[in-house]
Amino acid sequence: METTRIRKFKWFWAWQDEREEVWLQEMAAQGYYLEDPRFPGVYDFVRGEPSETIYRLDFPYTSGQDFESYLQLFADAGWDYVGSMGGWQYFRKKVQAGETAEIFTDVESKIKKYHRLMAYLTIFLPIWIALSPDHIDRFAPWFGITVTILYTALMLMLVTAMLMLFRRIQELKAKMK
Amino acid sequence: MEEPRTIARHLPLTEATFYILLALLEEQHGYAIMQDAETMSEGTVKLGPGTLYGALTTLEGSKLIRKVGQEQRRKIYAITDLGKQVLQAQMKRYGIMLGSARRKWTTTADADQLEV
Repeated sequence: METTRIRKFKWFWAWQDEREEVWLQEMAAQGYYLEDPRFPGVYDFVRGEPSETIYRLDFPYTSGQDFESYLQLFADAGWDYVGSMGGWQYFRKKVQAGETAEIFTDVESKIKKYHRLMAYLTIFLPIWIALSPDHIDRFAPWFGITVTILYTALMLMLVTAMLMLFRRIQELKAKMK
Repeated sequence: MEEPRTIARHLPLTEATFYILLALLEEQHGYAIMQDAETMSEGTVKLGPGTLYGALTTLEGSKLIRKVGQEQRRKIYAITDLGKQVLQAQMKRYGIMLGSARRKWTTTADADQLEV
């Protein structure tokens, strides 16, 4: 029997959204379509007819009724909603071979998407500072060390993400000139 | 009338924003704005839903447009008085641009080469 579903493990950082879009497009070209994404790094695909399908990721600030009208706008414009993961919204659109489609049609709005993402990551900074390992040291030395290592790794990830996003924004700004 | 400075703060408008404001001289929902903008701009301005949604949120926040109704899940917007003033100020700038371009061209280059 032919497999109709497959699961893939792949990691994309916050600044690699375009790479993720390309990968999902390549999967669709082989006939594998992303199913409602739930966990970072885990992608479930359903088998179908191979096609030229463009994937696009947005990072909006919306909730409740606003989110409904947000989805409606994408639907009206011919985009299928795939699902959301960690604040990212996944959309796809079938196109003719060689054609492309964009959810952001100018550089200004693309930059704004990364601004929203950076603002979202910034929210975590005070939380991390509040959780600083100084407060945890009193439990046991080995515990303190483990937490410090984990904490430092996460902090580095966050700072790297901010720097990479800042670079993406600068690249886009250069395109406007 | 708003202070000229209040209006100038919103200028220059991006091409997308210009056509959104123009489209909203009539009450419309998002998808109708997309179609209207594409037709009016003779296909030169295509608004993606991400760009349009972001622009509508920003324009509503700065009170250049306002929500006037709801049709199922579609929000209907219209331009405000402030929006109209900003739009006119931008139109005036475009008029100046086009006028100066024509004058400069016809006085310094072969006028018959000018196709616009």
